[in-house]
Amino acid sequence: MSKFVDRPRYTCALGGALFTLRALPRAIPVIHASAGCGFNIVNAGNPGAGYLGGGYCGGAAWSSSNVVEREIVFGGEDRLREQIRTTLELMDGDLYVVVTGCMVEMIGDDVKAIAAEFADGEIPVIAIPTPSFKGNSYDGYDMVLEGLFRCYVTRGTQKRQNTVNVFGLVPGQDAFYKGNLAEVKRLLEKLGLKVNTFFGEGETLENLQNASEASLNIVLSDVYGIRPALAFEEVHGTPYISLPLPVGAAQTGKFLAAAADALNIGPDIVDEAIRQEEARYYDYLERVADIYNDIDLQRYAVVVGDLNYVPAVSRFLADELGWLPKLAVVTDFVDEGQIETIESRFQNWESGTYPLIKFDTDTSSVQRYLPQAWKPSANERYYDSLSPAVLVGSVFERDLAAKYGFPLLALSFPVTNRVVLNHTYAGYNGGLSLAGDLLSLLVAGR
Amino acid sequence: MNYITAKTPPVREDRLGAGIAFGGTCHELRCAHREGCLNLANRAFSSTQGCQFTLSLAILNTLRNAVIIMHGPIGCGGCSISNVGIGQTFKRLRDPNAEGTIWLNTNLDEADVISGGEEKLREAIRYADREFRPESILIPVSCVPSLIGDDVDAVAAELQSETAAALIPVHCSGFKTKVMATAYDDVYHGILRGMVKKPEHRADRKAVPDDLYELRRKYAESRTVNILNVSSMSKPDETELERLLTAIGLKVRFLPCYSDADDFQYALESSLNVSICGTHDDYFIEHLKTLYGIPFLIDTIPIGRKNTTRWLLKIAEHFGLQEEAQRLADAENRELDKALESFRSELQGKAAFLAGGEVRIIATAEILQDLGMKIVGFKGHHYDRFAEPIFETLDDVSGVIFNVATQQPHEMTNLVKQLAPDLIVSHTGGNNITAKLGLPLLPLFGPTYNYMGYSGVFEVARRIRRIMANSRFNKKLAEHCPLPYKESWYGSDPFTYIKKDG
Repeated sequence: MSKFVDRPRYTCALGGALFTLRALPRAIPVIHASAGCGFNIVNAGNPGAGYLGGGYCGGAAWSSSNVVEREIVFGGEDRLREQIRTTLELMDGDLYVVVTGCMVEMIGDDVKAIAAEFADGEIPVIAIPTPSFKGNSYDGYDMVLEGLFRCYVTRGTQKRQNTVNVFGLVPGQDAFYKGNLAEVKRLLEKLGLKVNTFFGEGETLENLQNASEASLNIVLSDVYGIRPALAFEEVHGTPYISLPLPVGAAQTGKFLAAAADALNIGPDIVDEAIRQEEARYYDYLERVADIYNDIDLQRYAVVVGDLNYVPAVSRFLADELGWLPKLAVVTDFVDEGQIETIESRFQNWESGTYPLIKFDTDTSSVQRYLPQAWKPSANERYYDSLSPAVLVGSVFERDLAAKYGFPLLALSFPVTNRVVLNHTYAGYNGGLSLAGDLLSLLVAGR
Repeated sequence: MNYITAKTPPVREDRLGAGIAFGGTCHELRCAHREGCLNLANRAFSSTQGCQFTLSLAILNTLRNAVIIMHGPIGCGGCSISNVGIGQTFKRLRDPNAEGTIWLNTNLDEADVISGGEEKLREAIRYADREFRPESILIPVSCVPSLIGDDVDAVAAELQSETAAALIPVHCSGFKTKVMATAYDDVYHGILRGMVKKPEHRADRKAVPDDLYELRRKYAESRTVNILNVSSMSKPDETELERLLTAIGLKVRFLPCYSDADDFQYALESSLNVSICGTHDDYFIEHLKTLYGIPFLIDTIPIGRKNTTRWLLKIAEHFGLQEEAQRLADAENRELDKALESFRSELQGKAAFLAGGEVRIIATAEILQDLGMKIVGFKGHHYDRFAEPIFETLDDVSGVIFNVATQQPHEMTNLVKQLAPDLIVSHTGGNNITAKLGLPLLPLFGPTYNYMGYSGVFEVARRIRRIMANSRFNKKLAEHCPLPYKESWYGSDPFTYIKKDG
């Protein structure tokens, strides 16, 4: 049985669904739910994702049936039918997606049947149930992606050897999703691939519709996007590999090698790409060789956040920045199989230094693990403390950071203390921005 | 008014005949309201608009030394994320050691939908009490537990004996009402039932009875007013209102926002409760009269010179301090009037459209008229009788368009394109749509800015001049970022989708 959550770092399935659709060009969500659902979600997702905003449909302009007691008693199907009709009339889009909140699912409205009534229209209308009691934002992303793969992506297209789809970064929950996808796409293109990311720069609905041409799906996560990838394989016959989000040169090199391997791309191509990228990467990183060593910028680290970022960032800190991550807290809902997979990401690090790994959804739990990760003071005269340290987490870690005097870099949801535009933490560019952001914290007073 | 023995307050459609959908002139709106024709109206196309649950959090998030338990599925109350940093900052203006906003969510899942969420709520209450040791645990109840029949009051009553914190259920399920402002009644209902009581142990009590001390205390009480603040007010607003009332010899206390549990007890030691905004306060203030015999004043909101003067004089009248108040108002008005001159010469004749809470937009229009600006349209979240006295301070607006709409940016977008104002004054939520109209935009409220009292008039004036001096950011967005509506919409009747009969 699930339990309560102390300051959840995600909203509900509907929330994940809406921010996923927000990231899809010219897609118009039609919310079938209570009046406040959409508004609550945009007011969580906008600031939480570094002021991502509501996008083309503006969040507050999201079409919503706003069901009240009358519909809950008599059923909301007529109201939904009316709302779809008027949305088609008023809002300018190329795909209309009905998503649902708890109440209409509890009363049993048949949203798929209602959406099907609009099948003869010029523009597709599909329905994807996303009741919030069935999961959080990450699940909502999976539900929408699976729904699109099943109902929207064209079936029976010819496979193209050099085309891949990349997903697994959840728009909004990953505030940097767009910058991250841009970097991953840039790198895969260096291998001669055509890359669809659906939610990245310059994507179109056409790319999504033709996604079945891909010969491989690359899921940048151990968990997010896996269910849709399985559905994709079932419906369109494209296999997937799960290659976790790479941060920095070492992880990205391995990522490119694995992707090339899965696509039978020759080692000469991938080696050359890695060589070029590493040369550029170290040309930048070399800049801080002085200051890093002049004033000792090595730090202990505590890393808190979602299951995409925590292993990748911790490993980057240990294997590239030469830091000492001591505690890593993954704040998602995970099952035992997922825990095992994520723990396996904390193995075979070059540095041989590993943090204590915890899985806990509660914000106030993080500080309870610190004494397990580092021997607390027993008031001895000479005490080797967890200092100097840096905390990489979300704004929920601000009080903890202040209490221990750790500088805080917020990069996992929510990041209300930053404005995020095209910043990236993925790939080579991501390693550079992460190193730059972290070291900037340490020289801020100079 | 006395609904206090009921589990939940009545919704505002019933209690106040409030409406959320109308399009017409101010004159037509006021007639329709008087004739009771507003409150059935609805829309064939609607956008998401906020609910009483999310709006309840606007007050609940401000209460100090409290933990909030969002009883619902995992997303409910996620909007508090927008409050993480600023909530802490503003609480610390009242108490430097205050915690930020802390909340739990009971995370009701599919199994709970079938078997009930009460056990999870119990666990969450016990955890919150043990982990954070707050004075109060506030439990807003969302749609799902309300529909499955969780008895939150019974759970709270059952656990009250084992928790140190007062347990306060707030019944604010979103689907119960179209009028978002019912939230205020829900919150006050919870506060009245769980937090307002005569102090059991006064911090300043004397071991030996002291008659002189008691007399002084009674005198102080006879000169104390409670100002019912709203979460859209700023600390500078409070400072300004306190300055005015202190100047005529009164002592001021602000609640409920940023109060802690004790403040609600000492609040009963006052001679007058003064509303800032009837839409926020009437339920609370009338119950304090019924239950504790404290008189109240609900009239206007102190935004704009006329409204501020009227508000000040009405309070003064209660204490027989009219002369002092009039002298103060005259002096304030003289100086302010002079200070506004340079703004008037620049802003004269500029057209403005205002959107937000109906009380606040009408009052803010008074400032704009004072600056020589022309009001070309209003969009109010809802409409009820509390807007009526505010209209009286405006120069004739009877022919001005008034759109009653909670959010609904499609109607506003259409209207603004037709009315072509020079300035938009707008509530938060949906301003990324408004921005793409390419106009300068003054936020209707802002928790760090002064809008109220005499100083607020000057602050608004200088901000309007500053904002209108360069609106390149929004203009550029308008050039490059399309709005989500079809071209055909802009020529149509903006109220096409309003259905008069629901």
